[in-house]
Amino acid sequence: MQEYSVETAIAVIADQGATLKVDTQHLRELSFRIGSIFQFIGELNIQPNNEAILQARTGRNVDGIDLDLYYQSLQQLRQFQAKHMKNATT
Amino acid sequence: MDQQPPSLLHIHVKLLGFSLHSITPWPNNPSIFYLNGKRISRVEILGVVTSRDYKPNKFLRFTLDDGTHSITCILWLNHLTSPFFASRQPATLRVISDLAKCFADDIQFGKVARVRGRVSSYRGDLQVTVSDVVIERDPDAETLHRLDCISLGRRCYFG
Repeated sequence: MQEYSVETAIAVIADQGATLKVDTQHLRELSFRIGSIFQFIGELNIQPNNEAILQARTGRNVDGIDLDLYYQSLQQLRQFQAKHMKNATT
Repeated sequence: MDQQPPSLLHIHVKLLGFSLHSITPWPNNPSIFYLNGKRISRVEILGVVTSRDYKPNKFLRFTLDDGTHSITCILWLNHLTSPFFASRQPATLRVISDLAKCFADDIQFGKVARVRGRVSSYRGDLQVTVSDVVIERDPDAETLHRLDCISLGRRCYFG
């Protein structure tokens, strides 16, 4: 987490050079700490100025996560899904 | 002589949401499904709890999101009142009922849950009837489950 505003409950998270605003107003029980790693699930809203903001439905602190393994697992997942879906259509 | 591959019918098959949603019903038995031509009835899934519909002493219906699909789960809480369980021993039913209530308390919004249960179909949609719940606290639990499912998928389920 890169930024967090207590007034607006808007957080900015950064990952691999990209940033995303997250509206955390529904996550009252979570304590936000700059520099910690968070995982959010929610609805992505595109504002009139074309800016994306995630309306978070759930969030959790995942400090300690092995990010290298996480990225590798996503890469494996994409390959697995691509093959699986290709087989399903043939 | 060719050796038959082991049956998946009575084991909890570790699946990602998108694979679970690819299974199709076995024509002669509503509790058996096809996964790539193999018969399955039980699954193990893991994901973040993203919805929760609680009816005390009846059921807890919740959704797990593992990043590939959302999976609806139903945890029955009516063991002491439903005629469906009437033939079971009262002492056994109390244990099952207490355990189900503990699971219902554990299943909270935003938690990561590992769920085992039977696959069923309700109004045309797949759901998992829960028999066991573990709340995961390891931040790598989702990653490791994902890798497990991919590895098992390549070697056993889709190989």
